Amino acid sequence: MKHCKPIFILLFLGYITAYGQNSILQNGKLSGNVQLDAQYYIPDSIIGAEDLENKIRANVFANINYVNGGFSAGFRFEHYEWPLIDFEKINYVGSGIPYYYAAYNHQYFEVVVGSFYEQFGSGLIYRSYESRNLGYDNATQGIKVKAKPYKGITITGVWGKQRNLFVNEGQVRGADADISFTEIFPIIGDSKFRSGIGASFVSKFEKDQDPDYKLPQNIGAFAGRANFGYAGFNLQGEYAWKCNDPSAANEMIYKPGEALLLTASYSMKGLGVFLTGLRTDNFDFRTLRNASINNNIINYIPTLTREHSYALPSMYAYSSQAVGQIGFQAEVTYKIPKKTVIGGKYGTDIMVNYSRIHGIKKNYVPEAIAADGTIMLAGTDGYTSPFFAFGKEVYFEDFNIEIGRRFNKSWKLIVSYVYLNYNMEVIEGHTGDPNVHAHTVIGDLTYKINDKHALRLELQHMNTEQDDGNWMYAQLEYSIAPRWFFSVLDRWNYGNPEKEKQVHYYNVSTSFVHKTSKFSLSFGKQYEGILCVGGVCRVVPASYGCNLSIVTSF
Amino acid sequence: MKKLIFTTLFTLILGFSIAQEAPKTKSFSLPSVDIKTIDGNSFNTKDIQNDGKPIIICFFATWCKPCMVELKSIAEVYDDWQDETGVKIYAVSIDDSRSSAKVLPLVNGNAWDYEVLLDENQDFKRALNVNDIPHTFILNANKEVVWQHASYAPGVEQEYIEIVKKLLEEKP
Repeated sequence: MKHCKPIFILLFLGYITAYGQNSILQNGKLSGNVQLDAQYYIPDSIIGAEDLENKIRANVFANINYVNGGFSAGFRFEHYEWPLIDFEKINYVGSGIPYYYAAYNHQYFEVVVGSFYEQFGSGLIYRSYESRNLGYDNATQGIKVKAKPYKGITITGVWGKQRNLFVNEGQVRGADADISFTEIFPIIGDSKFRSGIGASFVSKFEKDQDPDYKLPQNIGAFAGRANFGYAGFNLQGEYAWKCNDPSAANEMIYKPGEALLLTASYSMKGLGVFLTGLRTDNFDFRTLRNASINNNIINYIPTLTREHSYALPSMYAYSSQAVGQIGFQAEVTYKIPKKTVIGGKYGTDIMVNYSRIHGIKKNYVPEAIAADGTIMLAGTDGYTSPFFAFGKEVYFEDFNIEIGRRFNKSWKLIVSYVYLNYNMEVIEGHTGDPNVHAHTVIGDLTYKINDKHALRLELQHMNTEQDDGNWMYAQLEYSIAPRWFFSVLDRWNYGNPEKEKQVHYYNVSTSFVHKTSKFSLSFGKQYEGILCVGGVCRVVPASYGCNLSIVTSF
Repeated sequence: MKKLIFTTLFTLILGFSIAQEAPKTKSFSLPSVDIKTIDGNSFNTKDIQNDGKPIIICFFATWCKPCMVELKSIAEVYDDWQDETGVKIYAVSIDDSRSSAKVLPLVNGNAWDYEVLLDENQDFKRALNVNDIPHTFILNANKEVVWQHASYAPGVEQEYIEIVKKLLEEKP
């Protein structure tokens, strides 16, 4: 397969060059993007920034796409030979063309050969996607066929290997049917009703080479979903079930897994209410049994927590626990109308959000309990779990409120309060660590000097007795639309119980934007933490130094 | 050796494509990608239209703060923009299943009049080579992308409407 890549690209290049001057390219369009993130590393023993042998490192990738009518082809060149230290820590090291495809999209069907991203329903049993900042890419490498026989009906089939870091391994195949009644029946489409259903099946194959256990080699998972809406009201849900799949993640138990995701929302002008619940039980689904961390994952279990955009509360972000979790999230957004006494001239935005996630309740099967009372799960059916019961252990809790108001053409203020209860032991695997209870207050003030110039001041304070103690954060940003950004920030761990670790993590940065290109330069310290995107997290090591980033598309 | 070949090829293609396309990148038509409307109906991006008037496409996500600031700021002046120029805004959400169900209450709650599309699998985002959001495209009367911009700074929306006005003047 390795030899095919250069051939594929040569053919592609040859094709373009040979016919470039003719009608094919005139109708077609070549486009792409390039991103470079480079850093010069300075050691700092206090914050834990290592003294690296190779001090200048970079992540580079470029996408090239060619489109001509329904036909498209492209590839991504990735150069992570000496990547940023974060990526080295997760073994995202290598270079080459791990992503390449050719596709044809027609009114009634679509075919993709090569790498592709796809998801069935909400992704509970299958989602291949990329999150480049996270170093996550589990693209399926094979073939995808989509049939669209009638408006409102889509049938998708996928078959292939799975990308993990810089190799393709593990076999996955699946099919999905999606039916939208709203589109099929005009009588529904013309009314305020909306409705649709879907079903999917995914299976993986992995040879059993275990000396002790007889392991299933073909493991299937099923999911069914439905949605129903009427005017401002919306309800949707998906249930998924998986065959027994003993793996490192579930401690080799033979119990089948299941997952349920339910969402309800209601909205009208000025008001939005959102409620969602999730339960996953033994639902870690990977192409390889022994894989861990973010490797070889087939599915996507969304997290039911708000994704905080402010720096301090995002320090303690929840990471989805596929092996067992039950929880809910509720959110209300309300706009106090403009030109009222309380709402002010421009109105006031209020958002209240609450989420709470527990472990599931587990009753261990008799075979799993040894004579001396210890739990030995491997090889047994593990446990039984009452479906709607919350386990005793709180994994995560988040209460937050945000109020935003514009006072006049120049001044705008957002204030926010966030309470987090974060189970370090479960989320980060730090055995014995207590839950972190953190209270954060945030003020975010924007002053628009004139049409192009604006100043923004962000102040945050986090109070906690646990982990690293209290933090303070201040950032001043000056922007000149549409080109320039300047920012100075300091994140001070003044409450760290160890005096020498009461460090200022400062950062000075500037960026310049020209159309689709952005150049950024920054200098400062990065604290050792966790970066999460969509509930998938990775560790970010401490670092100190100078950072250059160039992003462009054409 | 393999690396060398890749790097050379890469540079070649990149250089080639820029050289080849530079004079043409001024405008291009939208790619055809199947995504969804906010009601969950399938929608092909070729069907983005505004009866021969300019179109603005804004990529956003509910968790992206600058995107929210951008859409809220434009919402305050959108009525005026439409009266003056007839421009239409398509807001394309790249939220995944974690937050895609929040888009509808968000849009209704804020009473936005944008056409809202869901690009959950990020196919449209990829086809348009968007690296990060927010990212804005402006389309002319022939539905060709004539201008695009990455990131958001307060006040940049003023530039959007000026470009839209210029497009209307250019039209014979």
